[in-house]
Amino acid sequence: MEKTIPLGFTRRTVLTAAVAGTTGFASAALAPSPPPNGDAADLVKQLTGKAPTASDRLHLVMPQVFPNGYTVPLTLVIDSPMTESDHVRHVSVLAPRNPLVEVATFHFVPQRSEPRVSTRIRLAEPQYVLAVAEMNDGTLLMTESWVEVATNGCK
Amino acid sequence: MFTPAPRVQVPSTAANGEVFPVKTLISHPMETGLRHDDRGNAIPRKIINKFICRHNGVVVFSVDLHEAMAANPFIEFYLRATESGRLEFVWEEDGGGVHVLEHQLTVA
Repeated sequence: MEKTIPLGFTRRTVLTAAVAGTTGFASAALAPSPPPNGDAADLVKQLTGKAPTASDRLHLVMPQVFPNGYTVPLTLVIDSPMTESDHVRHVSVLAPRNPLVEVATFHFVPQRSEPRVSTRIRLAEPQYVLAVAEMNDGTLLMTESWVEVATNGCK
Repeated sequence: MFTPAPRVQVPSTAANGEVFPVKTLISHPMETGLRHDDRGNAIPRKIINKFICRHNGVVVFSVDLHEAMAANPFIEFYLRATESGRLEFVWEEDGGGVHVLEHQLTVA
């Protein structure tokens, strides 16, 4: 069951990404769709076999800093009319720096459920949490959110 | 032996076409399989691995849960009211355990 995924992350790349994330915050707020983190896109491609597109239709709302890695709140909203011809099939949440990367997959049904969900997850260390949505036409949309946890929630 | 206790919070009535929230929680340790006991033996994985919500027998929302879901998994989601009937909430556990709650929804 356990998947080992060569991530190519080092402390340096993560720290660089963290610094880039904080300094890039103001510009990210202006630019609606920031380019996807290259490592994240590679990871999604490894897991699904398809390349994701960064999208501002996905909203992954998480605290930037959270003291406890055991119960980190997460809210996911996708802009979609949820009609038969235009809907979200499912959304997966991934935590690339956790010992087990997959967190959860939420399946929605057009005209029956809204693409909006809240839950609580475990994070082992500060990282970008990813949300990857598969739309009804098979395209993958992706967004990510930087979360800094103070304690390891995976022990 | 620990017995998971499922809970849901969902309105009893809704207008036709209205979107309403559903809050669900099941008390469960969500043992990841990554931990060891004081003798160094691995504690086997035991988590809720699937949650399904059905409305009159039709699946309207479901979740695949993995190890990184927090203990006592809480899931809040939103359904669109289409017809009166029975809402069924099912939690499936490693090892085959199934926990079910039912709720009657009246759509006016």
